[in-house]
Amino acid sequence: MTARHTKFYLDKENKKWKGVCAGIADYTGIDVTIIRIGLVLLTFVGGFPWTFIAYWVAAWLAPVKPREFAVETPEQTKFWQGVRASPARTVRDVRSRFREIDRRLAEVETYVTSSNSRLAREIEQLR
Amino acid sequence: MEEIIIPIVVVPILFIGLPWLVFHYITRWKTAATLTTDDERLMEELYDLARRLDDRMCSIERIMTAENPNWRQIACDPASTGIEDLGRSPAPARRIGQ
Repeated sequence: MTARHTKFYLDKENKKWKGVCAGIADYTGIDVTIIRIGLVLLTFVGGFPWTFIAYWVAAWLAPVKPREFAVETPEQTKFWQGVRASPARTVRDVRSRFREIDRRLAEVETYVTSSNSRLAREIEQLR
Repeated sequence: MEEIIIPIVVVPILFIGLPWLVFHYITRWKTAATLTTDDERLMEELYDLARRLDDRMCSIERIMTAENPNWRQIACDPASTGIEDLGRSPAPARRIGQ
């Protein structure tokens, strides 16, 4: 497990041309169609040679998405997109989940211990 | 006069100020906190752990609910709404304010 989750990769599985747009979509979590339409619009609006140059440079520099990431569940993909967007927010999210679990566990504990004392009292009465 | 002053002003800006600025931001960028591979692994593990604990809590709560549907109220106030026969217990505790 040496491949990094926080890098930009070309997504060859969902590619149209080189996989740069699909890679951006995979990295950010934005829908790939919106990115493609945006790029085409940008090209028409005035970025004519530059969008192509940027596309080619990205296709040339970025590595292809490692094979082991292909088996990710949608939930994992979403999690890593969140991590890439804001690691701090993800950490806070995980912490809040742990706090929630702690609270629920405390409820169960209170019930179990209180019902145990009730049981002890009942047994005491039967003697 | 202008021919002397302009190079005196421009040359330091170009050859000292500009590289200074560039290197300042490069060092900033290099020392910025980034996620290492270990951080990534730790984060994934914690996230996974939270998910699994969540699932376990859910199944435990389901079991508790099947056993006694109003266990939550009992946990909050064990004296008044117990499962035992209240008439037989020695002195049913009263809620404060009643």
